[in-house]
Parts: sequence; structure tokens; C-alpha cells
Amino acid sequence: MKTLRFICLLLVAGSLLFLSGCKKDDPKPENIPEAITKATLTFTPAGGAPVIVTATDPDGDGPLPRTLSGPINLMKNVSYTLKITLINELAKPTDPEYDVTEEVEEEADEHIFFFAWTNNTFSNPTGNGNVDNRSDAVNYVDTDTKGLPLGLETSWTTINESVNGTFRVILKHQPDLKSAATTSNDGESDLDVMFSLTVN
Amino acid sequence: MKYLLSLFLIFESFSSLSQSCDYIFSGKVSDEMGNPLVGATILLAKQNKGEVADENGFFQFNKLCSGKYQIEVRFVGFKTISSSVKLYANKVWNVTLQSDSTALNEVVISEKHIELAATSTYSSLSGKALEETLGKSLGESLREIPGVNTIQTGPAIFKPVIHGVHSQRVLILNNGIRQEGQNWGAEHAPEVDQFIASNIIVIKDAAAIKYGADALGGVVLVNPAKLPTEAGIGGQVHVIGASNNGSGVLSGFLEGGLKKWPGFGWRAQGTIKKAGDSRAGNYVLSNTGFEEQNFSVSTGYHSEKKGIDIFYSHFNTSIGILRGTAVETAEDLANAQEREPPQYTLPFTYEIKQPRQSVQHDLLKVNAHLADGKNEFRLQYGFQNNNRKEFDFRLGAALSNIPALGFQLQTHTLDADWERSHSTKFQSCWGVNILYQNNSKVDGTQTIPFIPNFDHYAAGIFAVEKMTLANWVVELGLRYDFKNYDVVGFNFQNRLYRSNIDFQNFSGTFSTKRKLGNFSSLTTSISNAWRPPNMAELYSLGTHQSAAAIEYGLLLDEKTSEVKEYTATGARVEKAFKGVVGYKIEKQKFTTELTGYVNYIFDFIYLRPRGVTEGLRGVFPYFRYTQTDASFIGFDLFSVYQLNRQLTLTGKASLLRATDETQNDYLIFIPSNRADVGLRYESKPIKKFSWNAETKIRWVGIQNRAPQVITPREIIEAQKQGIDIIAQRPGNFDFAPAPDSYFLLSLGLGATWKLEKSKWDIRLSCDNLTSEAYREYTNRLRYFADDVGRNITLGIHFSF
Repeated sequence: MKTLRFICLLLVAGSLLFLSGCKKDDPKPENIPEAITKATLTFTPAGGAPVIVTATDPDGDGPLPRTLSGPINLMKNVSYTLKITLINELAKPTDPEYDVTEEVEEEADEHIFFFAWTNNTFSNPTGNGNVDNRSDAVNYVDTDTKGLPLGLETSWTTINESVNGTFRVILKHQPDLKSAATTSNDGESDLDVMFSLTVN
Repeated sequence: MKYLLSLFLIFESFSSLSQSCDYIFSGKVSDEMGNPLVGATILLAKQNKGEVADENGFFQFNKLCSGKYQIEVRFVGFKTISSSVKLYANKVWNVTLQSDSTALNEVVISEKHIELAATSTYSSLSGKALEETLGKSLGESLREIPGVNTIQTGPAIFKPVIHGVHSQRVLILNNGIRQEGQNWGAEHAPEVDQFIASNIIVIKDAAAIKYGADALGGVVLVNPAKLPTEAGIGGQVHVIGASNNGSGVLSGFLEGGLKKWPGFGWRAQGTIKKAGDSRAGNYVLSNTGFEEQNFSVSTGYHSEKKGIDIFYSHFNTSIGILRGTAVETAEDLANAQEREPPQYTLPFTYEIKQPRQSVQHDLLKVNAHLADGKNEFRLQYGFQNNNRKEFDFRLGAALSNIPALGFQLQTHTLDADWERSHSTKFQSCWGVNILYQNNSKVDGTQTIPFIPNFDHYAAGIFAVEKMTLANWVVELGLRYDFKNYDVVGFNFQNRLYRSNIDFQNFSGTFSTKRKLGNFSSLTTSISNAWRPPNMAELYSLGTHQSAAAIEYGLLLDEKTSEVKEYTATGARVEKAFKGVVGYKIEKQKFTTELTGYVNYIFDFIYLRPRGVTEGLRGVFPYFRYTQTDASFIGFDLFSVYQLNRQLTLTGKASLLRATDETQNDYLIFIPSNRADVGLRYESKPIKKFSWNAETKIRWVGIQNRAPQVITPREIIEAQKQGIDIIAQRPGNFDFAPAPDSYFLLSLGLGATWKLEKSKWDIRLSCDNLTSEAYREYTNRLRYFADDVGRNITLGIHFSF
């Protein structure tokens, strides 16, 4: 009798364990590498404090609107190097998908930055940028593996007058398309933000 | 016994001498497959008396005088039989009609238990009409039926639209099993191999009470032929090539039975399709190629009273989506709309790249039935496994090979029915349907899943009563369903949420059919159906393939986008009330079917534009799932006029008027009015050879009942000035105006050789003969590119 009861208890315990083990595990969250939640523009003059502005969209492509800091306050007649960094704050800083700049660098052959600004804000490059016309001047420092411009690093010299205008940055993804002639209308936009800009 | 018999005979001979007029002449009209030809006309020529075959193919003439009769049996789509019969006693005369010219047939029943309500309004595609659509996808073939349109995503993806509604409002039964795939997506085509069908039936009234509560628009039944029950091997092979997309289709089946075991049958079937890019009149539609590999096997045993069969099918497809549709923001969409040909247009290729879909669908069915006197019992188990992956352009080569969307949907169904013939005048059918389904995301997509994981349980029970009176058939149906969803998903912040929702409701139908005179009938039906919101309508967040707009589900909080409990929102199930009236005349030279319908759907769920939002990528219009009351009112017309023995004139038309009743606005993507006229010539058979030629013109009207237009360019310009143009101009809107009306001309030539035990059919056809550059309003790719240009198809069909 005792053995029989023991076996029954064992069976009951076993089936309980089995059933609880059978409970479906919750789905695992995904890493989201492609979201850009923050774009940072850092204008560094030769020997001086950098000017930093950010565009932030805390939920990536989600419903919350983006916020822009600024304006970009540059000094008259100074040369700046602009570096753009992109991060994904939906990931942890230690995750590889946190640093989107690196992804863009690795896929330089498919990406290109376009810039537009109020006409004659800069003495170098002159004009109003290459968003309206690819062949307009922009000083790209970095290139992709084919020698075509990328734009994570660009150089600028402000005009010797006060300006109150805007500065627009567009990152286009142009897989299998990018060439010396592709424009800001080709491919898909990964970034399109416009800051206020002053020169004093 | 012998004594009684001789008395009877004497009595009979006396009767014949005195010209008795009390004889019954009856019989059954069937097709070559043994299927009853419901609605066939049997005419006693000289007496001008006619009868119509009932839902079992039976006809009966009462009180006939003895003598010789000239009988004509006719049915649209079959060769008329003229015969003479001598009547000196009650006579039973069964007749088999041979299939003949094109035209939609009335017949339908291929498996005894999938018996259609005699009073429902349905159309079918079978025989030659079905053969002539072979090679096309299921959705595309269904366009031949008036009242059935499609919603397309390019040249390879078609979803049936019945009387203006589609996706989860149209039920598709694949060999008797509810097709369960990710049906919520307007760009998810039904994963069904059209070649398994021997006939396809569309039931247009929501009186699909036996099949489910959610068929608000109707039901599509894809039925294979019955398994053979006799020894011998038969089969079919089809080879079809088309010029427009360079496609090749090879399909065939082998079937047979065993001499030693009559009643046993088997069938093995397979299809391979490979197509490259489709071509519009003036440019290539890059990345619209597709491929398909399907096979199915079935085996079973059927005797007079019982039977069991097993069916397994595997469906595998890879479909490219027009590359020019890869847009993200309103700016991208504006650029794409203003550009022709679309961006990324390349020379013709068979390669399928991103964006593309990859879907596998497995179906296993076990089916048993038992007839016992007045009763028939049926039990059916089905298992389906649907695997869907969608690939997009992504950041980096590594990610581009990982699906941006991936789900596995497994469904178990158990259906049991009991049909009882209480008398020849009264039949009942009672049944139970049970379903268990699980949806799980594919891990490793590295995107927030568009819809959550869920476990779904459903149970339904129904009863249908049918009464046959003198000139009337009346049917009454009632159904009760319970559905439960146990949900777990990820919100926009990639955090887990849980939900559990219950739904339950009754649905009912009442329909009648009345014979009017010898040649016409009037069918009326009123029914109600209900549908709970699907997972995408409840929880979706974000953009998905070729949308360029952010969608928000019904349960997402308007301000915070947090997921709310179903009961905490005002969300309700859709409830539809549909009234259908069908009038049919079938005369010697002329057949007409006119169907009128009104479908009023309370709490109809649709995507309503709400405003513009600005993310880091740029400007996005966003839509929220909303509920409104909508009405769908329309007419379908189908006429066949036999000019002479060789020439047939066919006409089809469908008109539809859909309204957002609550907003007094128009709904988007509603098919416009259209009409078809066709002329067909059938040669007289010369020994074993016959040929036919046909021409068809299709006219598709412009959709005048389309919502206001707000172009993406207007959205961006307004945004620059700080104006949210969508919020400012409330109501539904479309990114582009509805395309112009168009005509399409097609020609066909066919030849048939009937040999002793086999048949060869060759068919050459040309669609869009003039290579008209047109856009179809219900094609979601109309924002980006023209529709398909001229297509020449050559098909060779061999059956033995």
C-alpha cells in the first residue's frame, strides 16, 4: 500500500512538474539595431570649444515626435569640422547596435549625406548646399570605398557677416544606386532634420 | 407475388388502352464526374412543360399521359441532350451531360457533404471556365466571377474582394478547411495552389453559417475532385508559358484506384511556377518576379455509405515586391509618385531581391463520413502550419538577409456535422467547429514585431433547417461562437505587454427560394455575421512593406501609445447584416442571373488618417484604426445568349456603392464599377477535333466615390509652415486621385483533340492586346507604376 501511494504521489508530482514545465516561455525581446534615436552634430573649430546640437526621437520610428536642440551658434570667419554621430538608445551602450555611425561607415557604399543651408552662410563652401543640386559645393572629408563622398565628416568656413538661417542634414540610403550623380531624391531617407543656425 | 404481378400488368395494359394520365417521369441529371447538375432544365418539347433539377439533380414530372415524348435536357456550359422517351409506366431516366463551352456553371457539389444551401446565392468556376484560368493565382482566377474583384499588391499578389470587402471578411476554404494564414495583411495573398481545384465556388451571401461567423463578405470554396474509386490510372499535365513575365508553369497529377480494393483511391499532385519581372506597357516592373513549388497527396476509401480520406498539401512561394515601393517617409513617397518609371527600374530579370515575401503553408486533413439511412455524419480534423517571412532593405548586408517580419501560425481545427433528412421535404444539419491556433514571432528579426504572439481558442455550434414546400424552399440557420485570444507582445518601447480577450455572439440566416414558372427562380436571404478585430487592427504599430505611413492599432492609447485593455477602450466587434436578392432565368437560348445586395456593417474597422508626425527620418502621415458604420450596396449581372449553335454572347457587370455612413464620406480601395462583354465561337466537332475562338472586352470605370486627395508633397509643404494638413482637412484621404477608367481587350484561341482515352487541349490567349498603360484603383502599387502590359499565354493540357 505504501509503495502504491508513493508511486501515485510521484506521478502527481511528476505531472505537475511536467505541466508547469509545459507553460510556454514568454517571447524574447529583439535587439533593434536600425533605429536612430539621436543624431549629434559637432562643429569643432581649429582650437576652440565645439558647438554641439542634437536631434532626438526617443522611440525611433514610434509615435513620439522628435525634438531638436539648437540653434547652431557659429562664429564669423572661422573654419569648422563637422562630425555627425548616430546612436540607438533603444539598445544598451554596450550593445553593438547602439553605435549606428559605425554601421553607416561600414555601409559607406550605400549611404551619402546631403546638406542644405541658407544661401551664403559659408565662404567655403559657397551657395546653399547640394540638396537641390548634387553638383553644388559641399566639402566632404570622408569617402566610401569607391571614392564617392560619404559625409560623416565635412569641413566649413563661415562668412564674415551675421547670418540667421537654417541648416538641414539628410542621410540617404541608396543601395545599388549610389553614384556621382545620385541626388537627395534618390533612395530612402534615414535622417532628415533641419536646425536653426546663426553666425555671429 | 407472381399473381399480383400479372394482375398489375393486366391493369397496366388496360390503363394504356384508356390513355391514363397518371404517370411519373423522373430522374437525375449529372455531369461526367457524377456531380448532380443543380438547376438543369428538362423540357418536354411538344407539351411545353419544363422542370428544373433540384439540389440533388433530381427532377420529376407528375401526371403525364402515356405516349412518346421529345425530351431536351439543357444546362449552361453543357451540351444539350435531345432524346425521345416512351412512357407507358412510371419511368426513371438518368442522364449525363457532357461539358461543353465556357460560361459559369451552376453545378457545384463535388464532395457529397459539402452541400450548398439550395437557397444561397453562389457562382462557380468549373469545367472549361476554370481551365482557362489555369496558371493564374487563385485571387486572379476569381475575377471572372461577377461581384468578385481583387485587391492587388502588384502583378503577383491578389486577394479576393467579395461585394467590396476582403481579407478577414472573406473566408477561404481550402479543400474544406478554413485557410488560416496571416490574412490581416492586404498584401498577403491566400496560400492555395489553384491547380488542386476541380471547382471553385463563391458564396456571396453571408449565409455561410456552416463555415464560420466571420464571413461578412462571403466564402470561397476551393474543391478538388473526388478521389477515384475504381481501378485504373488517370491524370492531367499542364504546361503553360506567358510572355509578359517570362513565366513557366508545370503542373499535373496522377490518380488511381486498386482493382483488388474497389472504393480505394489515391492522388498525387504538384505544381512548379517560375516568373520573372512583369512588364508594364513602357517599362519593366523591377523585382516583381515570383516562384512557387507545391505538391499534394491524398488517399482514401469510399463506399456507398462511408468513407475516410487523408489529404496533405505543401505550398511554398517567394514573391518579389516592386522595388520602387521601398519608401520610408512622405518625401520618399512624393518622389516615388512623381517619378516614372519608378526608382530602381532595371532590365528584366528572374532574380527576386528585396523587398520580398517568403511563405510556406502546410495543410493536413483527415476526413471521415458515415451515412446511415436518413442521417449522415461527418468528422474532419485539420492541421495547418503557416510560415511567413518578409524581407526588406535594411541597414547592412547582414541584416538584409534577415526577415524584417517573421511569424509562424499553427492551427488545429476539428469539425463535426450531422445531416438528417427527416423527409424529402425537411432536412436539418447540425454541427460543431473547434479551433486552436498559435501565432509566434520568428526570433532574430531584430525589429519590434508588428503583431503580438497569441493563443487563440474558438468554438462554434450551428443548426440549419431546410424545408421544401410546393414552390418554395426555405432555410433557417442559427449559430453561436465563442472566441478567446491570449496575447503577449512588444510595445513601441520594446517592452512586453499581455492581454486576454473574449468574444461571443450569435449569428443567423433566413433564406428562401421560389420557383417562378418553369424557367426562373427568385432567391432572397437575410443574414448576420460578426467578426472580432484582428491582431493587426488591435495592436499594430509602425510601418510595414510599401506603406510609407505609420499605423496605430485600436488598443493603443492616443497620447502615450501604451497598449490598453480591450474592455477599457470603446472597441467593438464588427456586425454585418446582409440582404441578397437573386433572380435567375434559364431558357433555351438565354440565361440571366441578377443579384442585388445590401451589406450594412456596424463598427466597420478601417485605417483613418489622423495627422502628420515628424521623426528623425522625416515627415510621416499616420493612420489610426477606427470604427465606423459602412454600407455596401450593389448589383451583379451575368447573362449568356446563345446566338446559334456556334456563337455565344456573354455579358457581366458589377456595380458597387460603398459609403462610410457615420462620417458621410467615401471609403478607400473600393472596387469601381465594371463590365465585360465576350463573344465566343465553338466549331462543330470534326471527328475528334474541335476548336474555339473568343474575344472579350472589359471596361473598368473610374472610382468617383473616392475620398479627397492630399498628396505627400502637400503634406510636406504644409509641415514646413507648421501646418498639419491632415488634421486640418478631416476625413478619409488618398495620396493620389483614383486612376482613369480603361478598356482591356483580350483574344483567345483553343483546340481540343478527344482521343479514345485521353484529351489534348491547346490554348493561346492574349490579354491586354493593345498593351494599354492603365492603373487599377484596387492595386496598391498604383501610386508607383502602371499595371501589366500585353501578355500572350500558351497552354497545353493533357488529360488521360
